[in-house]
Amino acid sequence: MDKPKILVVDDNPTIRKGLSIRLRANGYEVVFAEDAISATAALITEEPDLMLLDLGLPAGDGFVVMERLHKNDRLSNIPVIVLSGRELAGNRDRALQAGAAAFFQKPVEDGTLLFAIKKALDISRGELRFDQ
Amino acid sequence: MPTQPSSDLSAYLSHELRNALACIHQFGNILVDGLAGKLTSEQREYVSIMLENASTIRSVLDSALDGVPGTPEKLPNKIETYF
Repeated sequence: MDKPKILVVDDNPTIRKGLSIRLRANGYEVVFAEDAISATAALITEEPDLMLLDLGLPAGDGFVVMERLHKNDRLSNIPVIVLSGRELAGNRDRALQAGAAAFFQKPVEDGTLLFAIKKALDISRGELRFDQ
Repeated sequence: MPTQPSSDLSAYLSHELRNALACIHQFGNILVDGLAGKLTSEQREYVSIMLENASTIRSVLDSALDGVPGTPEKLPNKIETYF
């Protein structure tokens, strides 16, 4: 079975590197984008199994990326986990309403994030229902 | 307890400090977990001290910026809420 592919979208190269080390160590393939435009392009070219999305991005923000994702029928089922440094107020609820499967404020525990990724992938493959 | 900072300052501090803290957490845990090679017990102890103090800073940030009393043992775990 192929490794699940995760698109990591963050404008901070150190965050991208840290996430890639952790995700690859846990059996995931990792691809990157550093702004809203390259994130949209990577969604189309890479067709990842899941996207880890920062909100504060150059050339648009994470909400713009989610909006573009959900307008594309072929890509709209890709689960999104938001990992943001922004304050909770106004961002958490907005991200969830925009279709994010989960919202985490940085820094997040690795185990918590990996659990969320696995669960989101299981749900997206139909191996788990949302209430399980 | 200090008064809440203005919303612009709060947003700036949240973004900048949380990203910096995330880097400390990420790479500290990468070291502790041996993903960059095995540490001696002394090296592991020192990195763990760094991580504990980073968690303390995070708790202060939670309280000051989001009004959420935090403890180093209670990093966000909202997965039960949103799935």
